[in-house]
Amino acid sequence: MISDDELAERLRAGDEKALRTAYERHGSAVLYLAQRLLGNRADAEDVTQLTFVAAWSGRATFDPQRGTILGWLLGIARRKAIDRIRSAARDGRVAENVRAQVAPPDQPELPERIVDRLVVADELSRLPAEQRRTLELAFFDDLTHPQIAAVTGLPLGTVKSHIRRGLANLRRRWEVDGAAFGSRSAGPTRAL
Amino acid sequence: MRHLDPDRLVLLALSEENEGPGDSGHLAQCAVCRDELDSLRTVADLGRESEDMRDLPPPPERIWQRIETDIAVSPAPVTRLGSRPGRSRPRWLMPVLAAAAAAVLAVAGTVAVDRLVHRAPAERVTARATLSPLPTVPSSAAGTVRVLSDGEMRVDVRNLPLTTGFHEVWLIDPDDPTRMVAIGNLSATSDALLTVPPGIDMNRYRLVDISDEPHDGDAAHSGHSLLRGTLTY
Repeated sequence: MISDDELAERLRAGDEKALRTAYERHGSAVLYLAQRLLGNRADAEDVTQLTFVAAWSGRATFDPQRGTILGWLLGIARRKAIDRIRSAARDGRVAENVRAQVAPPDQPELPERIVDRLVVADELSRLPAEQRRTLELAFFDDLTHPQIAAVTGLPLGTVKSHIRRGLANLRRRWEVDGAAFGSRSAGPTRAL
Repeated sequence: MRHLDPDRLVLLALSEENEGPGDSGHLAQCAVCRDELDSLRTVADLGRESEDMRDLPPPPERIWQRIETDIAVSPAPVTRLGSRPGRSRPRWLMPVLAAAAAAVLAVAGTVAVDRLVHRAPAERVTARATLSPLPTVPSSAAGTVRVLSDGEMRVDVRNLPLTTGFHEVWLIDPDDPTRMVAIGNLSATSDALLTVPPGIDMNRYRLVDISDEPHDGDAAHSGHSLLRGTLTY
């Protein structure tokens, strides 16, 4: 599997296969975000299409210093989805849908939060296997450090350091690519 | 003042342990530890919430096909043979069609062109594509392709630019556009029934391309594409 850096370089150089790889790697996250923001599948697929087409035509504006390809794609998708919400709201077509999805009265869910979650999920999937496993047991199975040590057979000290380092990795990625990413990259990619 | 131990912050962030008086006292005074704990808590919450996103289904192929069609008609690096392979450029920088000469087998011998009138009356369409003009081609040019269940392919085109050579139909692998198969050429009429060589994987060679070919005896793609579209099923 080629690295994200190499993928970015190929994409910037105009290699269509790199776009395909980016789609295979991140299309599901883009589609998920669009679906959550728009509340219907057809619009979400449209926005996913627009996002990758915009990424292709704007590939020269991608700056690896500012974040990862996923963060960049999610930033584009968020703007495309919001554009679509605005234009749809004008004729009221999906306005109800969108309100119901984006801000259900009891539990408001901001687009930024969904982006952050996708970025963290992506980073989690990239962690070294043991680090990932211990964090998954803590997050999803709600196990304590000693329980994780018992389940995995790892020494407690190792579990501690995996979790500490794993969290630090997630945090670093979140700070690079998370919700703030959209506003930081607003310059060159705003036009997309 | 001693900051809280990093492992302690992790336990608090994961809510594995509750803040004791010592923790609270320190956190009340220390903005550094407070920020640290806030960040870790947010990340841990995001991590917990990410469970649903672990196994997202792969994105559907149909969206990719639409993307591909869009980028094929936008200024892509592929439309014209600009340079030759080799030199100091990395392989992926080459216009993808440049390698066609090496990659394409001449299959002209297998090509059969029939007039529309010969086709069977009850035919079933198994795949279709809408062909759109590339940027250098007048926007009125267009076409449709239907693949029939008997392995024939009906190509209807209109308003193609005049050529001193001929128009050739190709099936290209969009994942590796140096891979392509010549299906046949279009006669002067607007539609043609061509035979797809048996055994061709139409899921792979799904990008239909109509090119302008000079009479130069070179069986490879000229690099001058006129129309393109992706087969959908």
